Amino acid sequence: MSETSFVHQPLGKSSTSADGKLAFEIFERPDFSILSVKLRTGEKVFAEPGAMATMTPGVDLKSSFRGGFGRSMGRLFGGESLLVNTYTAEQDSEVTFAPGPAGDMVHYRLRGGNLMLQRGAFVAHSEGVEITGKWQGAKGFFSGQGLVLLKASGDGDLFFNAYGAILEIDVVDGLVVDTGYVVAFEDTLGYKVSVMKGLRPGSKIKSFLFGGEGLVVDFEGRGKVWVQTRDVGPFLRWVTPYRPQKSRD
Amino acid sequence: MQTEILCRPAASVARIQMQEGESITCEVGAMIAMSTAINVETAARKRGSSGGGVLKGIKRMFAGESFFLNHFTATADQQSLIIGPSLLGDIVSHPLTGGSLIVQGSSWLASGADIEIDATWQGLGNALFSGEAMFWIKCTGTGDVLLSSFGAIYEVVVDGTYTVDTGHIVAFEDTLGFTVGKSAGTWLNSFLGGEGLVCKFEGHGKLYCQSHNPPNFGKLLGPMLKAR
Repeated sequence: MSETSFVHQPLGKSSTSADGKLAFEIFERPDFSILSVKLRTGEKVFAEPGAMATMTPGVDLKSSFRGGFGRSMGRLFGGESLLVNTYTAEQDSEVTFAPGPAGDMVHYRLRGGNLMLQRGAFVAHSEGVEITGKWQGAKGFFSGQGLVLLKASGDGDLFFNAYGAILEIDVVDGLVVDTGYVVAFEDTLGYKVSVMKGLRPGSKIKSFLFGGEGLVVDFEGRGKVWVQTRDVGPFLRWVTPYRPQKSRD
Repeated sequence: MQTEILCRPAASVARIQMQEGESITCEVGAMIAMSTAINVETAARKRGSSGGGVLKGIKRMFAGESFFLNHFTATADQQSLIIGPSLLGDIVSHPLTGGSLIVQGSSWLASGADIEIDATWQGLGNALFSGEAMFWIKCTGTGDVLLSSFGAIYEVVVDGTYTVDTGHIVAFEDTLGFTVGKSAGTWLNSFLGGEGLVCKFEGHGKLYCQSHNPPNFGKLLGPMLKAR
């Protein structure tokens, strides 16, 4: 049985890519990542509304239902905004994007393949990339907040983020990931959502499925998976006992 | 079995490499990702009810409440398991060679298969304060104990006496004696000072502290959230 290698991205202060279509840099990885994109006149970058942190003069911003209404509905199911912001450079300029949660950000260069993104993970993409929602049916439904996916395809740069750091795992011989920690994966991998082995009905503890915990994605085949090292779900469950209690009168 | 801590210090995870037959016991929910040839078994331990006569209500709340463990066993060589805690913070591995380590309940992440876990340890029961679900786990045996912290983790070698706010304790060797008490000379001053209960350690041994106090953070967030 061959080893599933757990490749770990070098955690430098920044991350740049020579093979990117866009000139970009990701600073302050992995805890407080921020993306800087240098645009030449006429170049465009598309981003999740609200992600822009700063921009230099000469950038035109348009919000639109990109890809028409149907595609937008797909994105809605994917947990992303219906709108996509388009930043067009009217002169050489720079735009920076910072995601909501403190955490890591990854650049992925699409070359005709598909990358599946967990809801909320999308930050920005270059021209030539298309994002569509993929209704998961029962698969997505059963996972609760677990697995609602967007599909990125085309040829260009894609940026996605997470809460906590991101580990890049090269799957060779299958991999099991808690649904809440999946950030993205290449669609060369087969996947299905199931209940974690020890918690399956028939085992000693039957009803342990609170808050989506105990659901995992089983990956098979070859490809890369990106997992985050923290999940907001457990954090919210941790903070719940500190919430005020409703008065009972 | 090899353990490596990655992504330190803010979003740390532990990667455990196991050979066939090796196993580790983890907090339920700690598993992030793992290889396919790992068997998972869930077990329940009775969690220690809090001591202290004044806190009987709280005692009832926790009495009989179980705390769940997952046993992960590799059924083939070269299996990886990645685990992490809920809160942002660091992880350290404490090598236990006989003796015991007392761990604050939410800081216990995992321990080797040969380590006995006793969650009914009563020693610091009365550190349970203002309804916070603080419980303690006594780890005894030989192997590694993985500890997680909220914020950074730091090690203090106590020789003499040392005082720590109960919310900042991660774990300590049981060669240390301790008394739980008020931080200032009088109870009024202790409460006004906001320090509540502190633990006064004495003797010689290792102590792990965390830079941030989870209950304090919880109390900061709570009032801003919707009532449950």
